[in-house]
Amino acid sequence: MATLRQAARNRLRAWAARRHGIDTLPLRIHRRRIYIVPTRFGLLLGALLFAMVIGGLNYSSNLGLAFAFLMVSLVLVAMHHCHRNLLGLSVDVNLEVDAFARTEALFHFMLRNESAVDRCDVEVCVPTAQPAIKSVVTGSYEQVAVAVPAERRGVTRWSQFELRTRYPFGWFHAWTYVQAPLTAFVAPTPAGNRPLPSVAAASGKAMPSQGRGDEDFAGLRSYAPGMPLKHMAWKVLARGGEAAVRIYSDRGAQPEWLEWAALEGLETEARLSQLCRWILECEAGYPRPYGLKIPGIDIMPGRGPLHRSRCLRALAAHGEPMTP
Amino acid sequence: MKLATPSATSTTYSQLQWISLCLGLALAAQVTTLPLWLLVVVCVAVAIRLGLAARGYAAPSRAIRLVISAVSIAMLLVQFHTFNGLPAGSALLSLMAGLKLLETQSRRDVYVVALIIYFLSLASLLESTSFWLLIYLLAVSWLTTATLLKLTHSAPPPGWGPSARYAGRLFAHAVPLALVLWLFFPRFQGPLWQMPAQGRHTAESGLSDSMSPGDITELALSDEIAFRVRFTATTPPPHERYWRGPVLHDFDGHTWRREAVGSFAPAALTPAGGAYRYVVSLEPHQHNWIFALDWPERWDLADARLTSDYMLVQPRAITRPIEVSATSYTQVQASQPLGATMRRRDTLLPPGRNVRTLELSHRLRDEHPDDMGYVRAVLDLFRQQPFYYTLKPPALADDSVDEFLFITRHGFCGHYASAFATLMRAAGIPARVVTGYYGGAFNRFADYWIVRQSNAHAWDEIWIEGRGWLRIDPTTAIAPERVERDLKDAVQSGEPVRWSEGIPWITDMRLRVDALRQLWRERILFYDQSSQNDLLALLHIPEPDGQKVAMVLAFGLVLALAWLTWQVRREQRRESKDPLARAYDRLCSKLAAVGLPRKAYEGAESFGARIARERPDLAREVSALCRRYSRLRYGESLHHRSKRASVAEMAFAARVRTFRPRRAAL
Repeated sequence: MATLRQAARNRLRAWAARRHGIDTLPLRIHRRRIYIVPTRFGLLLGALLFAMVIGGLNYSSNLGLAFAFLMVSLVLVAMHHCHRNLLGLSVDVNLEVDAFARTEALFHFMLRNESAVDRCDVEVCVPTAQPAIKSVVTGSYEQVAVAVPAERRGVTRWSQFELRTRYPFGWFHAWTYVQAPLTAFVAPTPAGNRPLPSVAAASGKAMPSQGRGDEDFAGLRSYAPGMPLKHMAWKVLARGGEAAVRIYSDRGAQPEWLEWAALEGLETEARLSQLCRWILECEAGYPRPYGLKIPGIDIMPGRGPLHRSRCLRALAAHGEPMTP
Repeated sequence: MKLATPSATSTTYSQLQWISLCLGLALAAQVTTLPLWLLVVVCVAVAIRLGLAARGYAAPSRAIRLVISAVSIAMLLVQFHTFNGLPAGSALLSLMAGLKLLETQSRRDVYVVALIIYFLSLASLLESTSFWLLIYLLAVSWLTTATLLKLTHSAPPPGWGPSARYAGRLFAHAVPLALVLWLFFPRFQGPLWQMPAQGRHTAESGLSDSMSPGDITELALSDEIAFRVRFTATTPPPHERYWRGPVLHDFDGHTWRREAVGSFAPAALTPAGGAYRYVVSLEPHQHNWIFALDWPERWDLADARLTSDYMLVQPRAITRPIEVSATSYTQVQASQPLGATMRRRDTLLPPGRNVRTLELSHRLRDEHPDDMGYVRAVLDLFRQQPFYYTLKPPALADDSVDEFLFITRHGFCGHYASAFATLMRAAGIPARVVTGYYGGAFNRFADYWIVRQSNAHAWDEIWIEGRGWLRIDPTTAIAPERVERDLKDAVQSGEPVRWSEGIPWITDMRLRVDALRQLWRERILFYDQSSQNDLLALLHIPEPDGQKVAMVLAFGLVLALAWLTWQVRREQRRESKDPLARAYDRLCSKLAAVGLPRKAYEGAESFGARIARERPDLAREVSALCRRYSRLRYGESLHHRSKRASVAEMAFAARVRTFRPRRAAL
């Protein structure tokens, strides 16, 4: 039974996908894409209403019939209200998110309600994730974070997500599919205890192991926004000089190459974890560009959140089939 | 005792309180019909659950619940022997609701209780006729629905006020649809299947199928309404308004009874006067007869039939108000001779009883050998001898007729009818006592007659060869002017008189209230297939059949649903923007309609400028409007919305309304 229902749901999803095509976000929910069915409680109520009408007819009780018909109408009104709860709502989401394995990928959905009525209990469902529920009062917007558990490294894609509601009484279940490709890039869990290649190389030359390059002072350069404050030449500034940044020896400016090939003897996932850890270390530590070389992809040295994300995504996508 | 573990779907104390309140209110409507022990069980169950919830405990263990359920269901079976039928069904439902509340843990349990409350409300209404009960139960359902709303709403639950208002709005939206369904849903004659109607012991009221001396006297003091009558065309004169009830044949010297009457069809009657058409709305009296004007000829109740003594009866007791349209002739002639069985039965007297009456009869019969002469002699006897007509006659012993005729001589209609029939039978003239109602009070506010229990009356019918059954009302021989009016008016000094009798405006008010009640009955309670047909005739749909009714229903439903959709959408749009924004939207959509849609990034002024470039013919007007809009929107009036500003906004809206852009000429 459950598998049958699942199969039916999958067919419906596929059909909806064919019918609506790929949606552009933000999407305003049109009435033609809202589906509605009674819930189990609604079906029970339906059976009850049927019995009520039959009872009223059988006893030819006009009062009973009046009551029964009012309840029938109430259910129909509730159906309209359930449908309306999604109608005209605008939804947007960041389509691509980053995460580490064994954490959660957070999709931030934005629900905007420009109508005159409150939208209560709108659920945002991404498959495999716990649905998040939120109410959006009239003329405002709400951010809904859906946390998708990221168990394994890799790239997970969903071609659609679902907005649904059971408001007002749980008698009906209205939902809509939004055809938007959600992607979660799950980078490996940072792990491994090998030192950065540069450090390893330095220690190979019998350099002090704590040497992170800070000691090779090479001069000053005038400050430009974006330079690390850590290296501000405060003393120069205090003396009334111009804002300057300490520059260190050329070894510090050398890009750090994080290479797949440097991790001989480790398994694939362990290598990726080590690379991930290095990326984080590089990003957090000494400000020097770093590049990534793994089979199939070379990323030129760089720095900053975008670069970091690019590198982590490369790790996440390693070995994954290419996107169409 | 287990502590309740809170979760998203578990119920809170306040939710339990609300649903218990709703259940209590729904049960209150049935408090008179449900067994007392059952109410106690339900109350205790609810109290236990609430008590546990207040201390933060979970529902009692499964074993306890099972034992309570098993015991109370067994008791229910012992009491009703069945779960079929309304009383047993309601009792079972009430019990289930109470037990369900006892085990309520999750929202789903409360949902079930809510469904039971809905169904209990319906069950209370099925055999009810009360407008106030309907209103009350609608209020209960509204409260239940609001509770349900609070329950389904995820955290934080809305306040009580908003929930109630929202549920109320839903109910208000449901009304037109419900009205269409109620008006046009096909009705059937009679029940689809018979339900056992035991368990409800309602006191019988009004006349019964036996009459002892003094029986009717009790009724004569009752102000209760027996039935209401509306004559469709002509109203019969007062002395012909005899409403036929049980016909009594079997006399034991003290009491007249109606024992089994043969089921053969009544002998045909030849109408001798005009026909009267009327509609009787009967109050339930727990008997199966229908009071019809003497003598009924046609009626619209499918399963009612006429007995051999012209009583209109139904197969089942009348436990709910019913409405019957009938036609009667007040003057009839028998077209067939009296059957032998009937003759024997209606001349039978108990041997050895009322001996002095028999002697009197023989003496009179010797003087008047012809039947009519004898009848006149008996009536003269009542008129000339000192017979009194009183509501407080002395009690009579076994030979009631002897005692009445020769000793007490104070009696009520029953005494006279009984004595007259005995005298007739003693002379060999077939005679029987007919009980029923006589007269009635006219309600001039709604043009119908109210017949109360105080109008109860007894008279006689005798068989005269060649003429058939003849109605003789011996009471009229005593005090004709008293019978012409209500029996109530015949009350002698010392009898209770209604305190409001003499105050005209109070009488008027009572009549007006009764007129409203009658309107409620005729229009709502007795709305049936024929009323539906009348309604369809008003809509110019002649000769409605099932198909036509279904089509009208479908059409009405489509209209009501369209209204509902429109209403729901309108609510969504309403006040979404201020009038200024609405006017600007209108301007934009007018321009979009002629192929000049505003781009999403365009402000009013740049939009106006673009239009001016693309369509020089519209330039002047559009750029003026756009400038005006941005001045109103972003000008100083934004901060202090003066009266002048709103006037300016209205002027802008008016200008937009009259603005008619044309499509660009190709």
